[in-house]
Amino acid sequence: MANDQNNSTVEQHQTHYRSGMTRRDSLKLMMALAASILLPAVLAGCDNAPSGTQDGGTDLAKATTEHWPELKLTPITATGYGKDPNLILPPESPWPLTLTQAQLTLVAVLSDILVPREGSVPSASEVHVPAVVDEWVSAPYERQQQDRLTILSALAWIDDEAQMRFGKSFVLLTQVQQKAIMDDIAFDTAETPAQFKRIAAAFSRFRSLVVAAFFCTPEGTKDIGYVGNVPIGGDYPGPSQEAYAHLDKVLADLGLTEYAYPIHSA
Amino acid sequence: MNNFDFEVLVVGSGAGGSMAAYELTKAGHKVLMLEAGRDYDPKTETPMFKRNGEAPLMGAGNSDKDFGFYDATVDGGWQVPGEPYTAADGSEFLWWRARMLGGRTNHWGRYSLRFSEHDFKGKSRDGLGADWPFDYEDIAPWYDKTEALVGVCGTNTGLDDMPPSSDGILQPPPKPRITELLIAAAAKKLGIPVAPMHRAVLTRPLDNRAACFYATPCGHGCSIGAAFQTTTSLIPMAKATGNLQVITDAMVKSVDTDEHGTVTGVSYVDKKTSAVHQLKAKVVILAASACESARLLLNSKSARFPNGLANSSGQVGKNLMDSTGANIGAMVPALQGRPIYNEDGHTANHLFIPWWGHKAQERKELDFPRGYHFEIGGRFSEPSAGIAGNVQGYGADLKRQVKQNYGAYIGFALRGEMVPNEHCYMDIDPELKDKWGIPVARFHWKWSEHELKQVAHGLNTAKAIFAHMGADVGELPTPEQAILKGGEIIHEVGTTRMGASPKDSVTNQWGQSWDCPNLFVMDGGVFASNPHKNCTLTIMTLAMRNSNWLSAQLKQGAI
Repeated sequence: MANDQNNSTVEQHQTHYRSGMTRRDSLKLMMALAASILLPAVLAGCDNAPSGTQDGGTDLAKATTEHWPELKLTPITATGYGKDPNLILPPESPWPLTLTQAQLTLVAVLSDILVPREGSVPSASEVHVPAVVDEWVSAPYERQQQDRLTILSALAWIDDEAQMRFGKSFVLLTQVQQKAIMDDIAFDTAETPAQFKRIAAAFSRFRSLVVAAFFCTPEGTKDIGYVGNVPIGGDYPGPSQEAYAHLDKVLADLGLTEYAYPIHSA
Repeated sequence: MNNFDFEVLVVGSGAGGSMAAYELTKAGHKVLMLEAGRDYDPKTETPMFKRNGEAPLMGAGNSDKDFGFYDATVDGGWQVPGEPYTAADGSEFLWWRARMLGGRTNHWGRYSLRFSEHDFKGKSRDGLGADWPFDYEDIAPWYDKTEALVGVCGTNTGLDDMPPSSDGILQPPPKPRITELLIAAAAKKLGIPVAPMHRAVLTRPLDNRAACFYATPCGHGCSIGAAFQTTTSLIPMAKATGNLQVITDAMVKSVDTDEHGTVTGVSYVDKKTSAVHQLKAKVVILAASACESARLLLNSKSARFPNGLANSSGQVGKNLMDSTGANIGAMVPALQGRPIYNEDGHTANHLFIPWWGHKAQERKELDFPRGYHFEIGGRFSEPSAGIAGNVQGYGADLKRQVKQNYGAYIGFALRGEMVPNEHCYMDIDPELKDKWGIPVARFHWKWSEHELKQVAHGLNTAKAIFAHMGADVGELPTPEQAILKGGEIIHEVGTTRMGASPKDSVTNQWGQSWDCPNLFVMDGGVFASNPHKNCTLTIMTLAMRNSNWLSAQLKQGAI
């Protein structure tokens, strides 16, 4: 990513990161946040969380009853990148980013729970997924504005839940405590308890975004195994022998062998 | 424009206008082309090989770039700023426009299927709509010439829905992919054939254009010229004759006539200065897109033509048709975790499902009159904003699910023929003008039972094919829920239809307006019907044929 238009330092961003932060700057910020993830000071000022929590937490160790942070979000008023952006050098910072430090930190922690490091494959935050989430929820388009409410509500809910169950923000919980909440909200199925239906759906949207942002990075694209987008000289080679062999087995299993398309005459 | 003494003025630089300009300039006529959008150079502007992750929002579409960040469309999409359109109460219609040299050819799907005698004579068969004023035999040689010039890959299948090209015309198609081969077997078990798609993508070099190298989506545009667009082919070739000049940012607002009703030229707005200019020409060809050309004619009112120009039949703006569209898809469990290979190919259908129901329709076994085809999708695509799919949980197991599902999703896109009906047309909004002061188009739309029954048939057929693949598409939507909006398939045609009589058509078979002999239409507006097979190949073929006829007329002094 060339064209770094903003020379501000990471330190300045930690107090003034809302204005004119480029994507690269946001990545620097994320790295700084990742390094300081357990410092309580970073967590101050989550200004979108509802004031006060519901229920008061009668049983801190157990799942709560249904609650929901009714966020009053300021609408995004930035303009988009327009109908004729430069496609060769895409805009690095097409609109102001809006997540707070505390929200970014929570996104980073959640992203790494969703997509942890596996051997040599980096975790989501290591490839700057939170910056993509920030860009997405800060975008001035309809779909992203809807996601903004969904995702910011999910973030607020998760911290509310952490406070009610364990008396701390989510990022300060132990891994066991974090996992307890995850296990309640990360499965959006017919069996999901009623009080977690809404958060499970919202968290699912967040998860989809994190997963996409991860696999869209060069590291994630390599990890999923995509081998295209490379020029091929001559004719398209078609499927590998292994792929044909697998297809033959699939056709046999489905009772379709006699209907196979004649690949050699095609 | 100094000292350029042009004979023919072409409005629009897309499929029809560029083909007309190419044929006429090749025949020695001097042509001036007006394009409402900006100049565009695919060689320097096409985002070849760019990754989704490099784009804002992972390249996902939005109101600025409806089909994604990298889509080639410039200054357009479903809305053009400052150039609105309206829909009548109760109507919904979407109108895709591009404001760039080459128009929508820069991003189109490149599917290039010939219409057949069956397609041209629907009314003779079932009494609906209108016949075309020529036979397939008349146009077949022009399909050959167009396919050879444009470069179309595919094969002659012998299927009744796919009339053959002459030997040596088609370029070889790419090998089918695994998902397509599975679909082909499942469809065949139901007696439904699957065939190589015909696509305006080179698999062999042609002129100055390279063969496809099987990477980077065609919708982004193609800097190497493999995927056909007029900006890498017809326009530079026409310019090379020395007989073409192009003015971009030129928004034509009216076709002008003299007191005898003869067309004298056009008036256009220079978008850079907002100044209005008038140009004189011996012949005017409208190829601004079906609805833009009809809008122009309707806005070109005079005492002599109070209902708009070339509209003595009252048919300008009427007979508006799109293709029917519906999407259906499912995860195919048998494909989960299948071996990965490079499945980009030419980035669209290598195989597709042509319409197979001619005989059943002849036997009156179907409750809808016109056919459809399925475009079939599903491959190991570059990850994008939608890659997660339906997954649960977190951590290593979450990633495992995503990888397991990668390349296992198959989707069908139905594309069908609609029958024109009295509720589907465009006129001029009585109130609203665009930023150039030009009254805007207003759309009226309502699908008929013919389309809804066709879509219902398609959904049920698709469900059956998926079932043979061991996949469940779930409960089917109603056809009313499934059918896409009017205009959404971007195959809008018919608004200046050709015919055998000035009473019920706007032009003759040459695209020459019945009312004004030196006014031609060479875009999709002239379609008498809208077969399910995608309109661009036939727009180009008609423009080639009709430009040749026009050239002969000019050389004979008949015009």
